[in-house]
Amino acid sequence: MKLRIIPKLFKNLFSKPMTVRFPHESIPIPEGYRGEHAYDMDKCISCGLCAKICPNRAIEMIEAPEDIKDRYPKTYPKIDLGKCCFCGLCEDICPKDSIELTKNFFLSTFDPTNVIKYPTPKVEEQVNG
Amino acid sequence: MIDEMEPAPKGTDYDLYFGPAHPGSGNFGVKLKVAGEIVVSARADPGYLHRGFEKLMEYRTPIQNAVLSDRLCVLEPLNWNLVHAEAVDELMDIDVPERAKYIRVIMAELSRIQSHIIWYGVFSLGTGFDTGFKMAFGYRDYILDLFELITGGRVYPAGYICPGGVRRDFPNGARDKILKVLDKMGEMIKLEELENPALGARAKGVGILKVKDAIRLGATGPVLRGSGMKTDVRKDEPYEIYDRLDFEVPVRKEGDAYARYWIGIEEMKQSIKIIKQALKELPEGEVIDPSWKKPKLSVKIPKGEVYVRNEVARGEAAVYMVGDGGSKPYRCKIRGPDFLHMIPVLEYLLKGAQIADVPAIYWSLNICPADMDR
Repeated sequence: MKLRIIPKLFKNLFSKPMTVRFPHESIPIPEGYRGEHAYDMDKCISCGLCAKICPNRAIEMIEAPEDIKDRYPKTYPKIDLGKCCFCGLCEDICPKDSIELTKNFFLSTFDPTNVIKYPTPKVEEQVNG
Repeated sequence: MIDEMEPAPKGTDYDLYFGPAHPGSGNFGVKLKVAGEIVVSARADPGYLHRGFEKLMEYRTPIQNAVLSDRLCVLEPLNWNLVHAEAVDELMDIDVPERAKYIRVIMAELSRIQSHIIWYGVFSLGTGFDTGFKMAFGYRDYILDLFELITGGRVYPAGYICPGGVRRDFPNGARDKILKVLDKMGEMIKLEELENPALGARAKGVGILKVKDAIRLGATGPVLRGSGMKTDVRKDEPYEIYDRLDFEVPVRKEGDAYARYWIGIEEMKQSIKIIKQALKELPEGEVIDPSWKKPKLSVKIPKGEVYVRNEVARGEAAVYMVGDGGSKPYRCKIRGPDFLHMIPVLEYLLKGAQIADVPAIYWSLNICPADMDR
Protein backbone atom coordinates (compact mmCIF):
# COMPACT_ATOMS: atom_id res chain seq x y z
CA MET A 1 0.00 0.00 0.00
CA LYS A 2 2.86 2.33 0.84
CA LEU A 3 4.41 1.90 -2.61
CA ARG A 4 1.29 3.16 -4.30
CA ILE A 5 2.40 6.66 -3.50
CA ILE A 6 5.45 6.49 -5.81
CA PRO A 7 3.76 6.67 -9.25
CA LYS A 8 1.50 9.43 -7.90
CA LEU A 9 4.52 11.27 -6.61
CA PHE A 10 6.22 11.25 -10.01
CA LYS A 11 3.00 12.28 -11.72
CA ASN A 12 2.60 15.22 -9.38
CA LEU A 13 6.23 16.25 -9.82
CA PHE A 14 5.87 16.63 -13.56
CA SER A 15 2.26 17.81 -13.88
CA LYS A 16 1.08 21.40 -14.02
CA PRO A 17 -0.25 22.95 -10.82
CA MET A 18 -4.02 23.41 -10.38
CA THR A 19 -3.65 27.13 -9.76
CA VAL A 20 -2.52 29.96 -12.03
CA ARG A 21 -0.19 32.84 -11.12
CA PHE A 22 -3.04 35.24 -10.76
CA PRO A 23 -1.94 38.82 -11.41
CA HIS A 24 0.18 37.69 -14.37
CA GLU A 25 -2.27 35.23 -15.86
CA SER A 26 -5.88 34.46 -15.09
CA ILE A 27 -8.57 31.98 -15.99
CA PRO A 28 -10.64 33.40 -18.88
CA ILE A 29 -14.06 34.68 -17.86
CA PRO A 30 -16.82 32.99 -19.90
CA GLU A 31 -19.51 34.81 -21.86
CA GLY A 32 -22.58 35.56 -19.82
CA TYR A 33 -20.68 36.23 -16.62
CA ARG A 34 -22.65 38.40 -14.24
CA GLY A 35 -20.34 41.26 -13.26
CA GLU A 36 -20.52 45.04 -13.13
CA HIS A 37 -23.39 46.71 -15.00
CA ALA A 38 -22.97 48.59 -18.24
CA TYR A 39 -25.81 51.05 -18.63
CA ASP A 40 -26.79 52.83 -21.83
CA MET A 41 -28.79 55.95 -20.99
CA ASP A 42 -29.83 56.60 -24.59
CA LYS A 43 -31.60 53.27 -24.94
CA CYS A 44 -33.42 53.63 -21.61
CA ILE A 45 -37.15 54.37 -21.79
CA SER A 46 -37.51 54.98 -18.05
CA CYS A 47 -39.99 52.19 -17.55
CA GLY A 48 -38.61 51.44 -14.11
CA LEU A 49 -38.98 47.67 -14.45
CA CYS A 50 -35.38 47.11 -13.31
CA ALA A 51 -36.05 49.00 -10.09
CA LYS A 52 -39.23 47.05 -9.50
CA ILE A 53 -37.72 43.58 -10.02
CA CYS A 54 -34.48 44.14 -8.14
CA PRO A 55 -34.69 41.72 -5.19
CA ASN A 56 -32.28 43.81 -3.11
CA ARG A 57 -33.69 47.20 -4.08
CA ALA A 58 -30.28 48.21 -5.36
CA ILE A 59 -31.78 50.18 -8.24
CA GLU A 60 -33.55 53.46 -7.69
CA MET A 61 -35.05 55.68 -10.42
CA ILE A 62 -33.66 59.21 -10.10
CA GLU A 63 -33.61 62.32 -12.25
CA ALA A 64 -30.68 63.03 -14.54
CA PRO A 65 -28.01 65.56 -13.39
CA GLU A 66 -28.85 69.26 -13.91
CA ASP A 67 -26.50 69.88 -16.85
CA ILE A 68 -28.03 67.19 -19.07
CA LYS A 69 -31.57 67.46 -17.76
CA ASP A 70 -32.87 69.15 -20.90
CA ARG A 71 -31.80 66.17 -23.01
CA TYR A 72 -32.78 63.52 -20.47
CA PRO A 73 -35.96 64.75 -18.81
CA LYS A 74 -37.18 61.46 -17.32
CA THR A 75 -35.97 59.32 -14.45
CA TYR A 76 -33.08 56.88 -14.81
CA PRO A 77 -31.73 54.01 -12.73
CA LYS A 78 -29.12 54.65 -10.08
CA ILE A 79 -27.40 51.36 -9.30
CA ASP A 80 -25.92 50.70 -5.88
CA LEU A 81 -23.36 47.96 -6.41
CA GLY A 82 -22.98 47.61 -2.67
CA LYS A 83 -26.51 46.28 -2.43
CA CYS A 84 -26.48 44.40 -5.74
CA CYS A 85 -26.43 40.59 -5.68
CA PHE A 86 -25.60 40.34 -9.42
CA CYS A 87 -28.58 38.15 -10.19
CA GLY A 88 -29.06 39.67 -13.64
CA LEU A 89 -32.84 40.05 -13.36
CA CYS A 90 -32.56 43.73 -14.39
CA GLU A 91 -30.71 42.65 -17.53
CA ASP A 92 -33.30 40.00 -18.32
CA ILE A 93 -36.35 42.19 -17.77
CA CYS A 94 -35.07 45.32 -19.59
CA PRO A 95 -37.20 45.65 -22.74
CA LYS A 96 -34.57 47.74 -24.57
CA ASP A 97 -31.38 45.94 -23.43
CA SER A 98 -30.21 49.12 -21.84
CA ILE A 99 -28.68 47.36 -18.81
CA GLU A 100 -26.11 44.65 -19.40
CA LEU A 101 -23.90 42.79 -16.99
CA THR A 102 -20.27 42.82 -18.06
CA LYS A 103 -17.34 40.60 -17.21
CA ASN A 104 -15.79 43.09 -14.82
CA PHE A 105 -15.54 41.60 -11.37
CA PHE A 106 -12.83 43.86 -9.90
CA LEU A 107 -15.21 45.88 -7.79
CA SER A 108 -13.48 46.20 -4.46
CA THR A 109 -12.76 49.78 -3.49
CA PHE A 110 -11.70 51.89 -0.53
CA ASP A 111 -14.10 54.68 -1.45
CA PRO A 112 -17.75 53.85 -0.67
CA THR A 113 -19.04 56.48 -3.11
CA ASN A 114 -17.48 54.55 -6.00
CA VAL A 115 -19.95 51.73 -5.67
CA ILE A 116 -22.94 53.86 -6.65
CA LYS A 117 -23.42 54.22 -10.39
CA TYR A 118 -25.29 57.42 -11.25
CA PRO A 119 -27.00 57.76 -14.62
CA THR A 120 -24.48 59.26 -17.01
CA PRO A 121 -24.65 59.27 -20.80
CA LYS A 122 -22.19 56.73 -22.16
CA VAL A 123 -20.50 58.48 -25.08
CA GLU A 124 -21.00 62.13 -24.13
CA GLU A 125 -19.05 61.76 -20.93
CA GLN A 126 -15.94 60.63 -22.78
CA VAL A 127 -16.18 63.48 -25.28
CA ASN A 128 -16.62 66.19 -22.65
CA GLY A 129 -14.00 65.11 -20.24
CA MET B 1 -31.89 28.54 27.98
CA ILE B 2 -28.29 27.81 27.09
CA ASP B 3 -26.89 29.97 29.84
CA GLU B 4 -28.49 27.81 32.51
CA MET B 5 -25.46 25.51 32.55
CA GLU B 6 -24.43 24.77 36.10
CA PRO B 7 -21.03 26.03 37.22
CA ALA B 8 -18.39 23.36 36.87
CA PRO B 9 -17.46 21.72 40.14
CA LYS B 10 -13.88 21.86 41.32
CA GLY B 11 -11.59 19.33 39.76
CA THR B 12 -11.68 18.32 36.12
CA ASP B 13 -15.07 19.60 35.02
CA TYR B 14 -14.98 22.45 32.55
CA ASP B 15 -17.27 24.26 30.17
CA LEU B 16 -15.75 24.14 26.72
CA TYR B 17 -17.00 26.33 23.89
CA PHE B 18 -16.61 24.82 20.42
CA GLY B 19 -17.40 27.61 17.99
CA PRO B 20 -18.91 29.93 16.80
CA ALA B 21 -15.52 31.45 16.04
CA HIS B 22 -13.74 28.11 15.82
CA PRO B 23 -12.14 27.68 12.39
CA GLY B 24 -13.73 24.29 11.99
CA SER B 25 -17.23 24.97 13.15
CA GLY B 26 -18.88 27.38 10.75
CA ASN B 27 -21.22 30.01 12.15
CA PHE B 28 -22.40 27.68 14.82
CA GLY B 29 -21.36 26.80 18.32
CA VAL B 30 -21.57 23.88 20.68
CA LYS B 31 -21.28 24.36 24.40
CA LEU B 32 -19.66 21.30 25.88
CA LYS B 33 -19.42 20.27 29.47
CA VAL B 34 -16.40 18.08 29.90
CA ALA B 35 -15.10 15.92 32.69
CA GLY B 36 -11.48 15.22 31.93
CA GLU B 37 -11.42 14.01 28.35
CA ILE B 38 -15.06 12.98 28.18
CA VAL B 39 -17.93 15.19 27.06
CA VAL B 40 -20.63 14.97 29.72
CA SER B 41 -23.24 17.01 27.91
CA ALA B 42 -23.48 19.18 24.80
CA ARG B 43 -25.79 22.04 23.99
CA ALA B 44 -26.07 23.36 20.47
CA ASP B 45 -25.77 27.12 20.22
CA PRO B 46 -27.48 28.16 17.00
CA GLY B 47 -28.65 31.50 15.69
CA TYR B 48 -25.49 33.16 14.39
CA LEU B 49 -26.60 32.98 10.77
CA HIS B 50 -30.29 33.74 11.09
CA ARG B 51 -31.48 35.90 8.21
CA GLY B 52 -35.24 35.43 8.40
CA PHE B 53 -35.79 33.75 5.04
CA GLU B 54 -39.35 32.72 5.67
CA LYS B 55 -40.43 36.28 6.38
CA LEU B 56 -38.33 37.73 3.54
CA MET B 57 -40.02 35.39 1.09
CA GLU B 58 -43.43 36.75 2.01
CA TYR B 59 -42.37 40.14 0.63
CA ARG B 60 -41.04 38.97 -2.70
CA THR B 61 -42.48 37.61 -5.92
CA PRO B 62 -41.55 34.05 -6.99
CA ILE B 63 -38.79 35.12 -9.38
CA GLN B 64 -37.19 37.27 -6.68
CA ASN B 65 -37.53 34.40 -4.22
CA ALA B 66 -35.73 32.14 -6.70
CA VAL B 67 -32.72 34.46 -6.41
CA LEU B 68 -33.08 34.53 -2.66
CA SER B 69 -33.27 30.75 -2.38
CA ASP B 70 -29.57 30.52 -3.41
CA ARG B 71 -28.64 31.80 -0.02
CA LEU B 72 -30.39 29.00 1.83
CA CYS B 73 -27.27 26.93 1.61
CA VAL B 74 -23.98 28.31 0.42
CA LEU B 75 -22.63 24.92 -0.50
CA GLU B 76 -25.43 23.72 -2.75
CA PRO B 77 -27.52 26.67 -3.94
CA LEU B 78 -28.82 24.89 -7.04
CA ASN B 79 -30.51 22.17 -5.04
CA TRP B 80 -32.33 24.78 -2.99
CA ASN B 81 -33.27 26.63 -6.17
CA LEU B 82 -34.83 23.41 -7.34
CA VAL B 83 -36.95 22.86 -4.22
CA HIS B 84 -38.30 26.38 -4.37
CA ALA B 85 -38.94 26.27 -8.11
CA GLU B 86 -40.80 22.98 -7.79
CA ALA B 87 -43.04 24.38 -5.08
CA VAL B 88 -43.96 27.36 -7.27
CA ASP B 89 -44.43 25.15 -10.35
CA GLU B 90 -46.81 22.92 -8.47
CA LEU B 91 -48.74 25.72 -6.81
CA MET B 92 -49.13 27.74 -10.02
CA ASP B 93 -49.53 24.69 -12.25
CA ILE B 94 -46.68 25.53 -14.64
CA ASP B 95 -45.58 23.02 -17.27
CA VAL B 96 -41.83 22.65 -17.20
CA PRO B 97 -40.33 21.76 -20.61
CA GLU B 98 -38.63 18.40 -20.89
CA ARG B 99 -35.18 19.83 -21.60
CA ALA B 100 -35.41 22.05 -18.55
CA LYS B 101 -36.13 19.04 -16.37
CA TYR B 102 -32.97 17.34 -17.58
CA ILE B 103 -30.90 20.47 -17.09
CA ARG B 104 -32.34 20.89 -13.61
CA VAL B 105 -31.29 17.38 -12.66
CA ILE B 106 -27.81 17.75 -14.15
CA MET B 107 -27.23 21.00 -12.29
CA ALA B 108 -28.66 19.66 -9.04
CA GLU B 109 -26.38 16.64 -9.19
CA LEU B 110 -23.33 18.77 -10.00
CA SER B 111 -24.27 20.83 -6.98
CA ARG B 112 -24.52 17.69 -4.88
CA ILE B 113 -21.04 16.56 -5.97
CA GLN B 114 -19.68 19.98 -5.15
CA SER B 115 -21.28 19.91 -1.73
CA HIS B 116 -19.92 16.45 -0.99
CA ILE B 117 -16.45 17.58 -2.05
CA ILE B 118 -16.57 20.38 0.50
CA TRP B 119 -17.82 17.90 3.04
CA TYR B 120 -14.89 15.61 2.31
CA GLY B 121 -12.55 18.59 2.56
CA VAL B 122 -13.72 19.88 5.90
CA PHE B 123 -14.08 16.38 7.31
CA SER B 124 -10.45 15.72 6.40
CA LEU B 125 -9.45 19.04 7.92
CA GLY B 126 -11.34 18.27 11.11
CA THR B 127 -9.64 14.92 11.45
CA GLY B 128 -6.18 16.31 10.80
CA PHE B 129 -5.71 15.14 7.22
CA ASP B 130 -4.82 18.41 5.53
CA THR B 131 -3.94 16.93 2.15
CA GLY B 132 -7.55 15.84 1.72
CA PHE B 133 -8.74 19.35 2.40
CA LYS B 134 -6.41 20.92 -0.17
CA MET B 135 -7.23 18.27 -2.73
CA ALA B 136 -10.98 18.63 -2.28
CA PHE B 137 -10.97 22.39 -2.63
CA GLY B 138 -8.68 22.17 -5.65
CA TYR B 139 -11.01 19.79 -7.47
CA ARG B 140 -14.07 21.75 -6.39
CA ASP B 141 -12.89 24.60 -8.57
CA TYR B 142 -13.44 22.55 -11.72
CA ILE B 143 -17.14 22.40 -10.86
CA LEU B 144 -17.19 26.09 -9.97
CA ASP B 145 -15.75 26.84 -13.42
CA LEU B 146 -18.65 24.89 -14.89
CA PHE B 147 -21.15 26.87 -12.84
CA GLU B 148 -19.49 30.06 -14.01
CA LEU B 149 -19.87 28.99 -17.62
CA ILE B 150 -23.47 27.85 -17.32
CA THR B 151 -25.06 30.14 -14.74
CA GLY B 152 -22.78 33.17 -14.89
CA GLY B 153 -21.63 33.02 -11.29
CA ARG B 154 -19.18 30.77 -9.52
CA VAL B 155 -20.90 30.12 -6.23
CA TYR B 156 -24.33 31.72 -6.46
CA PRO B 157 -26.30 30.84 -9.60
CA ALA B 158 -28.84 33.62 -8.86
CA GLY B 159 -31.97 31.58 -9.28
CA TYR B 160 -30.68 29.61 -12.26
CA ILE B 161 -33.37 27.03 -11.63
CA CYS B 162 -36.38 29.31 -11.56
CA PRO B 163 -40.13 28.74 -11.71
CA GLY B 164 -40.98 27.51 -15.21
CA GLY B 165 -37.63 25.94 -16.06
CA VAL B 166 -34.09 27.27 -16.04
CA ARG B 167 -32.98 30.81 -16.80
CA ARG B 168 -30.43 30.02 -19.52
CA ASP B 169 -29.78 27.18 -21.88
CA PHE B 170 -26.44 25.35 -21.83
CA PRO B 171 -23.89 27.40 -23.80
CA ASN B 172 -21.95 25.82 -26.65
CA GLY B 173 -19.48 23.25 -25.50
CA ALA B 174 -20.98 22.92 -22.04
CA ARG B 175 -21.73 19.25 -22.58
CA ASP B 176 -18.14 18.33 -23.38
CA LYS B 177 -16.89 20.41 -20.49
CA ILE B 178 -19.25 18.66 -18.07
CA LEU B 179 -17.98 15.27 -19.26
CA LYS B 180 -14.38 16.43 -18.84
CA VAL B 181 -15.08 17.66 -15.32
CA LEU B 182 -16.80 14.37 -14.48
CA ASP B 183 -13.62 12.54 -15.49
CA LYS B 184 -11.67 14.78 -13.13
CA MET B 185 -14.17 14.00 -10.39
CA GLY B 186 -13.72 10.29 -11.01
CA GLU B 187 -9.99 10.80 -10.66
CA MET B 188 -10.54 12.61 -7.35
CA ILE B 189 -12.86 9.93 -6.00
CA LYS B 190 -10.22 7.32 -6.74
CA LEU B 191 -7.79 9.30 -4.61
CA GLU B 192 -10.33 9.71 -1.85
CA GLU B 193 -11.08 6.03 -1.81
CA LEU B 194 -7.51 5.16 -0.95
CA GLU B 195 -7.96 4.40 2.66
CA ASN B 196 -6.03 6.99 4.54
CA PRO B 197 -4.85 5.52 7.85
CA ALA B 198 -5.09 8.85 9.67
CA LEU B 199 -8.65 9.47 8.56
CA GLY B 200 -9.76 5.88 9.12
CA ALA B 201 -8.33 5.76 12.62
CA ARG B 202 -10.02 9.00 13.60
CA ALA B 203 -13.41 8.15 12.11
CA LYS B 204 -13.97 4.42 12.58
CA GLY B 205 -16.17 3.54 15.54
CA VAL B 206 -16.68 7.19 16.44
CA GLY B 207 -20.10 8.78 16.91
CA ILE B 208 -22.19 5.68 16.43
CA LEU B 209 -25.81 6.45 15.63
CA LYS B 210 -28.15 3.47 15.65
CA VAL B 211 -30.93 3.42 13.13
CA LYS B 212 -33.59 3.55 15.87
CA ASP B 213 -32.09 6.69 17.33
CA ALA B 214 -31.58 8.20 13.89
CA ILE B 215 -35.27 7.87 13.14
CA ARG B 216 -36.28 9.06 16.60
CA LEU B 217 -34.10 12.17 16.31
CA GLY B 218 -35.30 12.98 12.80
CA ALA B 219 -32.15 12.32 10.81
CA THR B 220 -32.48 12.16 7.02
CA GLY B 221 -30.23 11.74 4.02
CA PRO B 222 -26.66 10.47 4.35
CA VAL B 223 -26.86 10.37 8.14
CA LEU B 224 -29.84 8.02 8.09
CA ARG B 225 -28.38 5.97 5.25
CA GLY B 226 -25.11 5.69 7.15
CA SER B 227 -27.07 4.12 9.99
CA GLY B 228 -28.52 1.43 7.77
CA MET B 229 -31.85 2.69 6.50
CA LYS B 230 -32.35 2.68 2.76
CA THR B 231 -34.19 5.89 2.07
CA ASP B 232 -33.84 8.53 -0.61
CA VAL B 233 -36.52 10.96 -1.77
CA ARG B 234 -35.20 10.59 -5.31
CA LYS B 235 -36.21 6.92 -5.19
CA ASP B 236 -39.15 6.99 -2.80
CA GLU B 237 -40.98 9.94 -4.31
CA PRO B 238 -39.25 10.70 -7.62
CA TYR B 239 -39.34 14.30 -8.81
CA GLU B 240 -38.26 15.74 -12.16
CA ILE B 241 -36.80 12.83 -14.16
CA TYR B 242 -35.33 10.71 -11.39
CA ASP B 243 -37.78 7.88 -12.05
CA ARG B 244 -36.24 7.39 -15.51
CA LEU B 245 -32.68 7.25 -14.29
CA ASP B 246 -30.79 4.25 -13.08
CA PHE B 247 -28.89 4.78 -9.87
CA GLU B 248 -28.39 3.14 -6.52
CA VAL B 249 -28.80 4.30 -2.97
CA PRO B 250 -25.68 3.53 -0.96
CA VAL B 251 -26.35 2.23 2.55
CA ARG B 252 -23.98 1.32 5.32
CA LYS B 253 -24.94 -0.36 8.57
CA GLU B 254 -22.25 0.76 11.01
CA GLY B 255 -23.65 4.22 11.72
CA ASP B 256 -20.27 5.68 12.66
CA ALA B 257 -18.46 8.70 11.25
CA TYR B 258 -16.57 6.53 8.78
CA ALA B 259 -19.81 5.07 7.41
CA ARG B 260 -21.18 8.54 6.80
CA TYR B 261 -17.94 9.52 5.08
CA TRP B 262 -18.18 6.42 2.90
CA ILE B 263 -21.77 7.30 1.95
CA GLY B 264 -20.55 10.69 0.74
CA ILE B 265 -17.97 9.12 -1.56
CA GLU B 266 -20.46 6.57 -2.93
CA GLU B 267 -23.06 9.27 -3.56
CA MET B 268 -20.59 11.22 -5.64
CA LYS B 269 -20.13 8.14 -7.85
CA GLN B 270 -23.88 7.78 -8.21
CA SER B 271 -24.23 11.48 -9.08
CA ILE B 272 -21.65 11.08 -11.84
CA LYS B 273 -23.66 8.14 -13.15
CA ILE B 274 -26.87 10.20 -13.09
CA ILE B 275 -25.32 13.16 -14.91
CA LYS B 276 -23.86 10.92 -17.63
CA GLN B 277 -27.27 9.32 -18.22
CA ALA B 278 -29.07 12.65 -18.26
CA LEU B 279 -26.54 14.16 -20.67
CA LYS B 280 -26.99 11.17 -22.98
CA GLU B 281 -30.76 11.57 -23.11
CA LEU B 282 -30.83 15.39 -23.03
CA PRO B 283 -33.58 16.38 -25.48
CA GLU B 284 -33.70 19.51 -27.62
CA GLY B 285 -36.25 22.26 -27.14
CA GLU B 286 -37.23 25.13 -24.90
CA VAL B 287 -35.64 25.48 -21.49
CA ILE B 288 -38.33 27.62 -19.90
CA ASP B 289 -42.07 27.95 -20.07
CA PRO B 290 -42.71 30.64 -22.76
CA SER B 291 -44.71 32.85 -20.40
CA TRP B 292 -41.80 32.96 -17.97
CA LYS B 293 -39.15 33.78 -20.55
CA LYS B 294 -38.97 37.35 -19.33
CA PRO B 295 -38.85 37.51 -15.54
CA LYS B 296 -42.42 37.95 -14.39
CA LEU B 297 -43.23 40.76 -12.02
CA SER B 298 -46.98 40.50 -11.76
CA VAL B 299 -48.01 36.92 -11.13
CA LYS B 300 -51.02 35.51 -9.43
CA ILE B 301 -50.31 32.72 -7.01
CA PRO B 302 -53.60 30.86 -6.70
CA LYS B 303 -55.16 30.02 -3.39
CA GLY B 304 -53.89 26.73 -2.08
CA GLU B 305 -50.94 25.06 -0.44
CA VAL B 306 -48.19 22.69 -1.52
CA TYR B 307 -45.56 20.67 0.24
CA VAL B 308 -42.62 19.70 -1.95
CA ARG B 309 -39.73 17.60 -0.74
CA ASN B 310 -36.40 16.93 -2.38
CA GLU B 311 -33.21 15.13 -1.61
CA VAL B 312 -30.42 17.66 -1.19
CA ALA B 313 -26.85 16.67 -0.37
CA ARG B 314 -27.45 16.87 3.37
CA GLY B 315 -30.80 15.15 3.61
CA GLU B 316 -34.40 15.93 2.99
CA ALA B 317 -35.32 19.50 2.12
CA ALA B 318 -38.87 20.70 1.81
CA VAL B 319 -40.83 23.83 1.04
CA TYR B 320 -44.36 24.37 2.25
CA MET B 321 -45.93 27.23 0.35
CA VAL B 322 -49.32 28.83 0.78
CA GLY B 323 -50.81 31.13 -1.83
CA ASP B 324 -53.65 33.57 -1.20
CA GLY B 325 -54.31 34.90 -4.70
CA GLY B 326 -51.70 37.68 -4.52
CA SER B 327 -48.38 38.03 -6.28
CA LYS B 328 -46.38 36.98 -3.24
CA PRO B 329 -46.60 33.76 -1.26
CA TYR B 330 -48.68 34.10 1.87
CA ARG B 331 -46.41 31.73 3.76
CA CYS B 332 -43.27 29.87 2.84
CA LYS B 333 -41.99 27.40 5.38
CA ILE B 334 -38.63 25.84 4.67
CA ARG B 335 -37.54 22.56 6.15
CA GLY B 336 -33.79 22.25 6.19
CA PRO B 337 -32.25 18.87 6.94
CA ASP B 338 -29.59 20.39 9.14
CA PHE B 339 -31.86 21.69 11.86
CA LEU B 340 -32.34 18.18 13.16
CA HIS B 341 -28.80 17.08 12.39
CA MET B 342 -27.24 20.00 14.19
CA ILE B 343 -29.36 20.14 17.30
CA PRO B 344 -30.81 16.81 18.46
CA VAL B 345 -28.52 14.42 16.57
CA LEU B 346 -25.32 16.32 17.34
CA GLU B 347 -26.19 16.74 21.02
CA TYR B 348 -26.99 13.05 21.26
CA LEU B 349 -23.79 11.94 19.53
CA LEU B 350 -21.47 14.23 21.46
CA LYS B 351 -22.67 13.00 24.83
CA GLY B 352 -20.05 10.61 26.12
CA ALA B 353 -17.58 11.23 23.29
CA GLN B 354 -13.94 12.17 23.71
CA ILE B 355 -12.97 15.80 23.13
CA ALA B 356 -10.64 14.72 20.33
CA ASP B 357 -13.56 13.05 18.54
CA VAL B 358 -15.75 16.17 18.54
CA PRO B 359 -14.58 17.47 15.13
CA ALA B 360 -14.88 14.04 13.55
CA ILE B 361 -18.46 13.65 14.78
CA TYR B 362 -19.35 17.24 14.02
CA TRP B 363 -18.20 17.13 10.41
CA SER B 364 -19.31 13.60 9.67
CA LEU B 365 -22.90 14.89 9.89
CA ASN B 366 -22.23 17.09 6.84
CA ILE B 367 -23.68 20.16 8.43
CA CYS B 368 -24.19 23.64 7.10
CA PRO B 369 -25.38 26.32 9.51
CA ALA B 370 -26.91 28.34 6.68
CA ASP B 371 -29.96 26.16 6.12
CA MET B 372 -30.32 25.39 9.83
CA ASP B 373 -30.62 29.00 10.95
CA ARG B 374 -32.28 30.15 7.72
